[in-house]
Amino acid sequence: MAGMNAAQVRDQLKAIALVRWEIFLHSLRTTRGTLELFSRIVIGAVITSGGLGGAALLGGFAWYVVSQGSPEFLAFLLWPVFMFWQFFPVMATAFSETLDTSNLLRFPLNYRSYVLVRVVYGALDPATLLGSLWLIAITLGVGIAAPRMFLWTAIVLALFGIFNLLLTQMVFAWVERWLAQRRTREIFAVLFFLAMISLQLIGPMMSRFRPKSASGLVRVGGEVNIAQRVLPPGLAAHSIASMVRGQIGTSLLMFGFVGVYALAILRMLSVRLRAQYRGENLSEVAKSELVKRGDNAVRAGWDVRGVSAPIMAVFEKEFHYLSRSGPMLLTLITPIIMLVVFGIGQGRPGTGFLQRSPDFAFPVGAAYTLLLLTNLVYNNFGADGGGIQFFLVSPARFRQIVVGKNLTHMTVLAGEMVLVWIGVSLLFRRPSLAMTVTTIAGILFAAPLNLAVGNLLSLYAPKKIAFETFGRQRASQVTVLTSFGVQLVVFVLGAAVFVLGRYYRDLWISAGLFLALAVVSFGMYFVVLGRVDGVAQRRREILTGELCKA
Amino acid sequence: MDIPAIRTEHLTRRFGELVAVEDVNLEVASGQFFGFLGPNGAGKSTTIKMLTGLLAPTSGTMQILGIDFEQQPVDVKRQIGVVPEGMALFGRLTGAEYLNFVGRMYGLDRETAAKRAGELLEFMQLADQPKKLVTDYSHGMQKKLALAAAVIHGPNILFLDEPFEGVDAIAAGTLKSMLQRMIARGATIFLTSHVLEIVERLCSHVAIIHKGRLVAQGSLEELRAGVEAQAASGDGDQLAPGKKLTLEEIFLHTVGGVRSAEQELSWLG
Repeated sequence: MAGMNAAQVRDQLKAIALVRWEIFLHSLRTTRGTLELFSRIVIGAVITSGGLGGAALLGGFAWYVVSQGSPEFLAFLLWPVFMFWQFFPVMATAFSETLDTSNLLRFPLNYRSYVLVRVVYGALDPATLLGSLWLIAITLGVGIAAPRMFLWTAIVLALFGIFNLLLTQMVFAWVERWLAQRRTREIFAVLFFLAMISLQLIGPMMSRFRPKSASGLVRVGGEVNIAQRVLPPGLAAHSIASMVRGQIGTSLLMFGFVGVYALAILRMLSVRLRAQYRGENLSEVAKSELVKRGDNAVRAGWDVRGVSAPIMAVFEKEFHYLSRSGPMLLTLITPIIMLVVFGIGQGRPGTGFLQRSPDFAFPVGAAYTLLLLTNLVYNNFGADGGGIQFFLVSPARFRQIVVGKNLTHMTVLAGEMVLVWIGVSLLFRRPSLAMTVTTIAGILFAAPLNLAVGNLLSLYAPKKIAFETFGRQRASQVTVLTSFGVQLVVFVLGAAVFVLGRYYRDLWISAGLFLALAVVSFGMYFVVLGRVDGVAQRRREILTGELCKA
Repeated sequence: MDIPAIRTEHLTRRFGELVAVEDVNLEVASGQFFGFLGPNGAGKSTTIKMLTGLLAPTSGTMQILGIDFEQQPVDVKRQIGVVPEGMALFGRLTGAEYLNFVGRMYGLDRETAAKRAGELLEFMQLADQPKKLVTDYSHGMQKKLALAAAVIHGPNILFLDEPFEGVDAIAAGTLKSMLQRMIARGATIFLTSHVLEIVERLCSHVAIIHKGRLVAQGSLEELRAGVEAQAASGDGDQLAPGKKLTLEEIFLHTVGGVRSAEQELSWLG
């Protein structure tokens, strides 16, 4: 905005940082806030230790390849960093710290400051922090192996880091835009579906055209290498490798190409941010058709014999919410994507667990589906926002509301398991009857346990989420930590039951054990369900306080 | 003797050290259009939240149509309709879906819920854009929808927290017309509002809460007479002779409000 001088802009940025800090401090006033901080520290420590381990590996590998005179192999390090940086925020939205900058627009913030706030806030994302840490480790590794290369590596990888940061922001900004309107969301879904189908063809095609000899492999490897060298991770690695070899011109050229990529991404991000800065409204139906007066027949709600009206009402409402949440739909189809990704590697023996043991593709897919469903289960009321007040003033019992929500979760889970089963049959091989039954029994054990804990956490640690927007769905950290604990228990028990079945060469033993565990798990679910009304009544102020926040 | 629609005894709510509502004894007869007034932070919303089950009282009792709220909350909730402060809407539903949902949550069968939803949308002039999500509604449209949702089950008592806030004249007219129909049907309406002209026009009875305590309660005439008697005895501010007090004047006399024009904000020019 014209008229804002540099000092004023600095003051604005300081004020934004200060207000975030104050919000954080105020959050510590409550027990829940303190628990949140504790959970965040624990999760932060886990992520940091993983990150440091990765840094040591990457730094060591960078040192090794440069010491051995093969700096072009740095591409093998930069690609995984790139993939992690771009995919982790999508796969683990719970960890992504994001800021809804739309409420900054009412202040006289100039466009540059607005962009800066967005980008700097994006830099606090765990993926960015870890990605940056790993790039620093690679820089150090290269620097130790070839001290004269330190500065240049630092410059190249800094640019590569900026490119990654901008790309993450750009992708989120655009996907959020596309998914905000029903029409574009539908187009996006169709394109995604077509992409999935075409991806399914890759596996068979690769099997068919797989090189039969070592020379063929080398040829394919060479082609892949050429392709990757024109993309930023390859370009950055090439730039460093060229400098190591004294090819300064090539190195600068490759560096320039990374810069061009970064500028192009910045330009695309800028288009989005400019629109946001102008205060765009991602209205669902900006151009709704008007209907003739009198044509006001309202379709009757869903009905299932034997299910009470409030439970069906909640069930229907949840499905409407899900069907209008692009990000959530995308999350829910991730298991299928992952299967496709694993399935592509099919036919290369010994390349991975699922390739060695395709029998386990169905349980792994089912477990992954359940894991993703925890996004919904552990924060049942998050998307309801102010609607929680309605639940509290309505005569419906909370247990009915919770059952309606859980029915939705179980229906989604069942539907996804069918898709996973079909996917596994197409991509790997049809799961045996014993494996199918055992997996279903395993889910019957794991799902009610997750629902029971999820229902409690939804009342004890609610967090308002925007279902319709990408990357703004951070769960409570207490929820994240507890969910980890539950998944760990489920995983350990599940693995033990499977191992036992394998040991006795009879999977039906595992199925029986899972069913026995399912009885316990269902028992827990009903015990929790019986207490839900009381808990909701006691915690109604916290629920409304947290979920009705503006 | 008729059972009062709302009756509270020694209703108190504390937030730590702060006493938001203290020892409130309220009685609203069935069929009354009752205005609940008070300055900002006086305890209006806290009271209405307690009366609708959104907040637990620290002490005291509440009876709605003779039913104890603490003992039989579900029975009470069946009898009441509520438009709370935040309207309690579900933004990702269409208006029709929302009303259908609410109707069924109150136990209406699916056909009745759908029929009433259609009629309410038409009455509230919200039927034009059936695919529009609630989140995309204007503030006034949301208020109308919230009121439609509050009445879909035909409640005997309607609690409205600031129903006219942010509503244009046309929408306000629609809301008033619906509320008057309900009163004609024998329902009781309990509303809070800062727009005293509207309260004066609509309400037959009023209570004023100030700093958490109920300071006046009765019909408009009773309140007016009270203020005049107070002025005559020399306890309150002097009144202009022969002039009928408006609700605004009654309110200001009761809570001791002073409109300060003396303070200056020099930087505003």
